[in-house]
Amino acid sequence: MPRPEHKEITLTIDGRDVPAIDGQILVDAARGGDIEIPVFCYEPKIGGPVGACRMCLVEIEGISKLQTACSTPVKDGMVVHTQTDRVKGAQQSVVEFLLVNHPLDCPVCDKGGECPLQDISYGYGGGKSRFIEPKRHFVKPLGLSPLIAIDRERCILCYRCVRFSQEVSEDHQLVLLERGASTFVATFDGHPYVAPFSGNIIELCPVGALTSRAYRFRARPWDIEGSGSVCNLCPAQCNVTFTVRDDRVLRVLSRDHDGVDDGWLCDKGRFAYQATHSDERITAPLVRDGDQLRPATWERAIQVASGIARHSGAAAAIVGGETTNEEGLLLGRYLRDTLASHDIDSRQGGALSAGVLRELARTDLQATVPDLEFAHTVLLLDADPVDDAPILDLRIRKGARRNGAQVLVASGRPTALDARAAVAVRHAPGSAASLVLALDAALSGDQGSASSHATDAGSDLEAINALAEALKAGGEDVVIVWGERVTDGAGGEAAAKALVNISATLGLGTREGSGLLELPRGTNGRGLREVGAIPTAGPGLSNPVAVGRSTDEIAAAAAAGDVTALWFLHADPTRDGRNTETWTRAMASAGLVIAHASTLSPELAAHATVVFPAEAGAERDGTITHPDGRIQRLRKAIGSPVDVRPAAAIIARIAEVGSGVDLGPTAGPAGTAAVSAAVSFYAGLNVDEIGGRGLRWQDRDAATNLPAGDVNGESAAPVPAASPNGALRLGTYRSIWASPEVELSPALKFLSRRPTVELSPIDAERIGVTQGQNVDVGTGADVLRATAHLRSDVPAGSIFVESGLAAPGNLPSEGQLIEVNKA
Amino acid sequence: MAQIDEDDIILVQRGPSPTVAGGFYRSFVETARGLKTTLFKVFGETQTIQYPEEKTPVYPRFRGRHKLHTFEDTGLEKCVGCSLCAAACPADCIRVVAAENDPNNRVSAGERYAAVYEINMSRCIFCGYCEVACPFDAITMGHDYELSDLNRSDLIFTKEMLLAEPIERTPLRTEDE
Ligand code: SF4
Ligand code: SF4
Ligand code: SF4
Ligand code: SF4
Ligand code: FES
Repeated sequence: MPRPEHKEITLTIDGRDVPAIDGQILVDAARGGDIEIPVFCYEPKIGGPVGACRMCLVEIEGISKLQTACSTPVKDGMVVHTQTDRVKGAQQSVVEFLLVNHPLDCPVCDKGGECPLQDISYGYGGGKSRFIEPKRHFVKPLGLSPLIAIDRERCILCYRCVRFSQEVSEDHQLVLLERGASTFVATFDGHPYVAPFSGNIIELCPVGALTSRAYRFRARPWDIEGSGSVCNLCPAQCNVTFTVRDDRVLRVLSRDHDGVDDGWLCDKGRFAYQATHSDERITAPLVRDGDQLRPATWERAIQVASGIARHSGAAAAIVGGETTNEEGLLLGRYLRDTLASHDIDSRQGGALSAGVLRELARTDLQATVPDLEFAHTVLLLDADPVDDAPILDLRIRKGARRNGAQVLVASGRPTALDARAAVAVRHAPGSAASLVLALDAALSGDQGSASSHATDAGSDLEAINALAEALKAGGEDVVIVWGERVTDGAGGEAAAKALVNISATLGLGTREGSGLLELPRGTNGRGLREVGAIPTAGPGLSNPVAVGRSTDEIAAAAAAGDVTALWFLHADPTRDGRNTETWTRAMASAGLVIAHASTLSPELAAHATVVFPAEAGAERDGTITHPDGRIQRLRKAIGSPVDVRPAAAIIARIAEVGSGVDLGPTAGPAGTAAVSAAVSFYAGLNVDEIGGRGLRWQDRDAATNLPAGDVNGESAAPVPAASPNGALRLGTYRSIWASPEVELSPALKFLSRRPTVELSPIDAERIGVTQGQNVDVGTGADVLRATAHLRSDVPAGSIFVESGLAAPGNLPSEGQLIEVNKA
Repeated sequence: MAQIDEDDIILVQRGPSPTVAGGFYRSFVETARGLKTTLFKVFGETQTIQYPEEKTPVYPRFRGRHKLHTFEDTGLEKCVGCSLCAAACPADCIRVVAAENDPNNRVSAGERYAAVYEINMSRCIFCGYCEVACPFDAITMGHDYELSDLNRSDLIFTKEMLLAEPIERTPLRTEDE
């Protein structure tokens, strides 16, 4: 659905002419004219009005009864009064009525001081109550979940939380039970409300009925300061406000940004701040001494790390997704210009050529986050937003629910959006590339090659044709959301070209609201690519002087002794479950292993030479780039522990001590200026222009500096999917909860993941396991013991193993066959 | 120098210089009149209070060192750690860090209690706003005004100090004083 047209009208509120948009809700129109109408239940983010609280009553000329302003659309020439005696009388009555059952809890209530009910009672209440009967009582406080406390006596029954659960996150868990004054909020059968987005109801509740257990009694609004920044835990990069007291982060709130997060946060973003103050976090440099890492002074750590200068030509770096643009640029420069090495990678699945990357970055092909909401069709290609970039899941649901967008899914692992999808196509794990080729062929009417690619993808031609039909018939505005893993492996480049081709067939480049949106694996995956932290392109996706090795090639080269120094900047490849064994050998044989980390995996603990403590999200400063090209600022909310220093400063110091080179400015506005000087299409960008809301580089004039793409070269064909005879095809997935921050946060610990394998009930029966039993994945020394999770929508013949854990095992790559046995 | 505007110039008018008689009158008669009370008191009763051996009595509503209160029957702290006193304090000298009560081992009567409660007496201006703000009459101002110390940090009174009965050193004024 294209974005709605706006017709300007004028109405009169309290004798003042107020400009508004036809059909706008009166409360919003009044706010635009600086007139406040008090509300409790109205929250446009959740959906349509429900008119539950009656706080917003106003007088409208021509209508004899008072009307709820939250459910009245404005019309041209409407005359509204919000200050008459009748309205004031009604407001006082509503406040008195809401307080009838409300306890006098303010001194012990966590909402106190930032509570709409307090504010509205003061502002619009009559100041006294005639109610002398006993109030309604509930047991309190109770845990609605391990994260949320519920105090039912305080609830004013505005339905906000229930509507969120039913209509926004669509987890359908919260309901209102009983009727009348006995009504209360609960889950249907009393189980805890555990869902990826549950924390949002804390912010939505207009009273202290739903409060955060992690923040419980920690501070009052006058004890704290809010510090705006961006969540760096996943590529969705939601805008957040850190609540800071005594230089500690105590809470994370959403900093509503329509272009990024629509005002929501996932529970990881909301509660993982606790990892910042965890005792297990590394807060001092560590240097290897025999078989142990020991705390060392900074001078010593830098001294040891600067030994990398002796590995000129044989040094390699893996850059983790949370690295900022400034840090990525600096490390890339040092490696390429001084150490004569081109082996730097921030992707996991192999490299795409600079030409192809530029083609994918084309401004006209780029979809934005709000496009997801207004598109006619959203196609997910091997991506599950709820795990890859959680907040986008809500945005796609919003488009489908409010604007009737058609959702299409083509993925290996069943996604959370399958239930919403008009067509859901499965392919073999790791065969997304073949599927994209098949879809491309089907769209251009080449049934022959569509059929052979479909077979290669382990999918079925019929379903792919249905997908192509739905894509063509669904309307012009199409957004294709594709996961980085589509371009993994040998066929990655072919898949990328097919994507460009599909875009051309569907005319995505010609329409404003259409395009491609990639979900990278790392938070700043896009930015790191654009500043040149990849082996195939320099800063600004320019053609490199020489092409370096990609992640897997670095591992192999290091294991073979061709690379002798490894630098892990916020990365730990042994956590990903890919090539664990090669990586372990690589680390063992490398002469120097530098790591920047907050926690250590067993492999890093065993093989790292120097470990620099990494800054936590709230301690960082720099810029990161959103998957849709929005450059955003991370801003330091709290001071770091004394011995934690910015990674950029460490890189610069190592370069200075080891090689005697000055890498230039590292941080602050000058660091960002260095990035915009290096990346042609960021040219002239400075921190003031980025500001608090960020801006998309595609919307600036400098975007035309993006060099033309090149998709002409030959690319290898994808490996056909193995046929599962007896063994099973291996797929992996990384859940939203599989991250070190979750493991370190006491509040989220209950969600942290243990090795799990998802399999279909058919295979489970064959192996003889039931839900929750243990299975052994693989054979011999590499066997991984995992808990079986039966999922009926997993296709028979495939399994999906959880990755991103502290001990992920050593699995072959995606799509390979693997044996699974009952433990 | 900048030009001075005509309108900005104010002419000062001085009175005539005093005559000899007028000068004499002002130097002696007026001075003696001003010292009248002092001169008479020289012969009266001694008013000096021999502090610190002797202390000035205070009025019942005198605002001195704070006290935190407990319930007489249960012994629980009245303070629930709501921080309202800290919000009201114009000198920003109260620090409250609340925590959740353990139902089996209660500190206060409510859900929360003050795990940390500190008043920085070197900053307090003894305005009494904290006392007014407290919804539970948990904090009141006592009569003790002897708060000096040799160390600034010793002037940060902790919860234990505020809960302890202060040594009653300050005499109260009697009804007719
Ligand atoms: S718990 Fe809060 S959000 Fe939910 S209905 Fe009650 S007052 Fe509204
Ligand atoms: S969706 Fe991602 S960016 Fe947003 S709060 Fe969650 S982890 Fe952070
Ligand atoms: S008496 Fe006034 S200045 Fe002193 S602690 Fe109380 S509110 Fe603060
Ligand atoms: S002394 Fe009173 S106002 Fe201050 S925190 Fe305790 S209960 Fe609240
Ligand atoms: S805000 Fe209008 S009825 Fe609740």
